[in-house]
Parts: sequence; C-alpha cells; structure tokens
Amino acid sequence: MRMGTVVGRVTLSVRNKRFVGERLLLTLPWTSDTFDGKDTYAPSIVVYDQLGANIGQNIAISEGREAACPFPEPTPVDAYCAALVDDHFYKK
Amino acid sequence: MRLATIRGYVTSTIKHASLEGWRLMLAEPDSSDLAPQIVIDNLGAAIGQKVMISSDGSEARKIVGDELSPARWTVMGIIDLERSLAV
Repeated sequence: MRMGTVVGRVTLSVRNKRFVGERLLLTLPWTSDTFDGKDTYAPSIVVYDQLGANIGQNIAISEGREAACPFPEPTPVDAYCAALVDDHFYKK
Repeated sequence: MRLATIRGYVTSTIKHASLEGWRLMLAEPDSSDLAPQIVIDNLGAAIGQKVMISSDGSEARKIVGDELSPARWTVMGIIDLERSLAV
C-alpha cells in the first residue's frame, strides 16, 4: 500500500453498472521524496473510498488486484482506500 | 519479492476491518522504482532493519485471515546481517 494525500473528489453522471454509491477521491501518492519532506508527489490517481476520507487527509492506498478484494461482486477498481492515516513516523 | 529497509510506521484508527491489530510499517524498497510501501508485519521487524517484502496478496489475505482484505504487501522475512564476502 502506498501513502497518499487526498486533494479532491470525483463524481460521475454516467457510470459502470458495477459502481453503486461510489465515493471517489483524487489522490496524490507519495514518493520517497515526499517522505523526506519535499513537496513532490507521484502522478495523481483516483481512489475508491468506503471509509470517508476528507480533502487534505493522508490515506493508505491498496493497488492492483487486491484493491478489488473488499467487494463481494467483481468490481472494476484498481485503487482502494484501505486506511485513514492518523500519524506516521519515517526516518531515513 | 523485494529487499527493503524498515523506515517507520503508520497509525490509523479508521481502516478496513481486516487491518485491525496489525503492525503497519513503512518499508523503503532498495530499488528506487517503487515508492515506500505500507506493509503488514507479523514477524516483528524493527526500524532500520533490512527485510524481504512480498506483494503476494493471497498470502496477505491468509495472514490477516480475511478473504475480502485489501492487504497486499507483507514482510516475508528479516535479512541476516550483511557480511563481506571478500577473500
């Protein structure tokens, strides 16, 4: 799971029929430099959220096949908000 | 599987139910193509220690005991101290 910062929301008017009541977050994933305190991020991605993350919050992003695992029905999701990060410690 | 160094940890109150109770460590992979990852650690790796991490989600789901878990990266082992092989 990558760390990410929520910077916005995405809403859909027409959607894949597998998406029901989805909450989508525009998120900037962290790079090694972000952990070192620099203001640089990886390219933004859209993350499916069931926990209610707010803008400005740091989250743990599960990616790949595992992102779709929490859904009982097959759902086309490749990034999922697995945790809202309260605090982190990182020392080079 | 990747070699990585444990650099820290994250704390989280609101999270997927399957992640409840697990140590969530921040591991920086040795190769720079991959960003530091939040990994599940059931072996007790310490900050500064070198570990081997695996992206096998099916093993991660077995470790946390929830087939609906979004967990992916887990600590597979703690690396022995490096020794010089110079003769």
